[in-house]
Amino acid sequence: MNDTWVVELAFAAMILGTPLIFATIGEIMTERSGILNLGVQGMMLVGAVSAFWATYNTENLLLGLIAGLLAGAALSVIHAFTSVTLRVNQIVSGLALTIFGTGLASFLGQAGSDPLVGNPSPVVFEPIFTGGIADWPIVGPLLFGHDLMVYVAWAVAGLASYYLFRTKMGLALRAVGEDPASAESAGINVSAVRYAYVMVGGALAGVGGAYYSLKIVPTWQDDPIGEAGWIAIALVILASWRPWRAVFAAYLFGAAERVQFTLQTLGEPWSNIPSTILAMTPFVLAIIAMIVLTSGKRARFLGAPAALGIPYFREQR
Amino acid sequence: MSTRRFIIEPRGLASPWLKLLVPIGSVLAALVVGAIFLALTGENPFSVYSHMVDAAFGTSRSIAETLLTATPLILTGVAAAIAFKMLVWNIGGEGQFIFGAIFAAGIAIWLGDGAPAYIALPLVVIAGGVGGAFWASIAAVPRVYLGTNEIITTLMLNFIALNFMNYLIFGSNSPWRDPEVATFPEGRPIPDATRLPEFFERLDYGIFIAIALAILAWYLLGKTRWGFQVRIVGDSADTARYAGIGVPSKILGVFLLSGAYAGFAGGLFVAGPVGALDPRSLALGLGFTGIIVAALARLNPLAIIPVAVLMGALINAGPSLQSIGVPTATVTMLQGAILIFAVAGEFLIQNRIRRPEKAPKAAPSSGEEASPA
Repeated sequence: MNDTWVVELAFAAMILGTPLIFATIGEIMTERSGILNLGVQGMMLVGAVSAFWATYNTENLLLGLIAGLLAGAALSVIHAFTSVTLRVNQIVSGLALTIFGTGLASFLGQAGSDPLVGNPSPVVFEPIFTGGIADWPIVGPLLFGHDLMVYVAWAVAGLASYYLFRTKMGLALRAVGEDPASAESAGINVSAVRYAYVMVGGALAGVGGAYYSLKIVPTWQDDPIGEAGWIAIALVILASWRPWRAVFAAYLFGAAERVQFTLQTLGEPWSNIPSTILAMTPFVLAIIAMIVLTSGKRARFLGAPAALGIPYFREQR
Repeated sequence: MSTRRFIIEPRGLASPWLKLLVPIGSVLAALVVGAIFLALTGENPFSVYSHMVDAAFGTSRSIAETLLTATPLILTGVAAAIAFKMLVWNIGGEGQFIFGAIFAAGIAIWLGDGAPAYIALPLVVIAGGVGGAFWASIAAVPRVYLGTNEIITTLMLNFIALNFMNYLIFGSNSPWRDPEVATFPEGRPIPDATRLPEFFERLDYGIFIAIALAILAWYLLGKTRWGFQVRIVGDSADTARYAGIGVPSKILGVFLLSGAYAGFAGGLFVAGPVGALDPRSLALGLGFTGIIVAALARLNPLAIIPVAVLMGALINAGPSLQSIGVPTATVTMLQGAILIFAVAGEFLIQNRIRRPEKAPKAAPSSGEEASPA
């Protein structure tokens, strides 16, 4: 039962979706404060290489995670500075962050006399339970057969959801993204809030990157994450800026990424579909979702922050 | 904040010197950042940089290669500049570049050796532009008529275009694929009549076409009624609407023109150095790099020409770094740093910083005190 292709696909989709959950929820928090950060791809890559480096040298997964988290947050400060303090174009700044982060991650992997590139990680995230409940039909592998990070992603979704909609701090965050001038009148420091959530976004993107280099592709290579960072930005809209929906959207895209391998195992006629065509699936899905969801004024009804992407000039109110 | 050390206020018109100084400062600042990372990994930044200059300009061959890489960058740079000027965030230059290449190679193969060069060559270049505009239209039409955000759609279309090109060569027996190569799939060489002639080492006449098209874009945007209306829409869509300018048709026109320029780049690259729809030579990120070129040139089509040469030099220096044991990714890192400083530098061009006590008229001459470097 657990060997059927459906269970296999769902199981793999959850693993591939997990880094997307972290990165998407991070970007949701950033965008909820009114800042668009297109640097997710760069922050994930820098997180991935930092996490790999730390775990490679210490054989400790927790230290790797922390390194990835800190590196992602550190890189995001650049974007916070340009978009909050300097108030220049957020789109170009985010793209710059992605290009710089991509180059930096690759550079750090190649540099030095004993470069990381080509080396396997000494430890990787392993499933918590083997046998027992993890062997139950269908729900066994899907609910109990994963490594810790899959469950941490659920916890992050739950916490982010509670924080955003049930706490005072979450209300302040949403207020800054909706109407910064009113938020400031209410005594909220708009700049500080925006800095903080750009960094939260960077930290979670870094964790997402870490999961790639310590689980999905546990041998360091130049570009271990594919286009995950860009997908995460699209998922924010698909999840309509709500953390729980990000979990399901991420699993859907994990499945879209995995389906080309699944079809290969199904034999004729499925295996005849060219892999280059199947590789387009996540991107086609994203475009259709964008056209359906964000056309007209629908994006606002979905929950797009009203001040998203607009610099806040206190002096010119 | 009751007492402030600095007062920041919008600047009216920045001096031409400042507009020149900020991009140059951005490049220098990026080189400093690169030097720090190189030094931290045990390299001598000065010898690395001098090696890069040598690799990009040292011999007549390397100069030709640098200009060869600059050719598509001029056009993808103009493509980004045209769109960004009007706040159309076309980040799909990469995909439009690829579709320009697909269309150009397609028509070249279809024409075969039958047509004379003076008919075949213009057709191939124009087909590139049509291909780019076609690929842009998939994002442009929903943007204009449905209000769909173009940032993500153009971006996703890049990955679809890349996979589609791979499909044509690696995944199918399409007319673009060379039927004679059995071991590893390759693009079918286009006929000689559709190839741009070389005149200096490997450098072909494409660079003059690219420069001419950049000047044309400068003229269109800066000197024509259409360009004037486009600039109004870019400044304020409301004002434009009030003045009776058809905003949707302007946005659509700019979006498609932007795609066409990226497509021209793909067409010229196929008709020039590559000579086939070859995924390994075409997927170098030249479309994406156009964004860096445009930003550093401050969206000015004429300034894009020298900036594209600089960026072409940087890209060409990359592979040579391997021979001295330095990561080739140094180049990408420098590109990203240049773009970060260029976008941050806009702050200095748009704002003036002064101390509150001093006379407000005494503005800092260059604004260097707040340089992010």
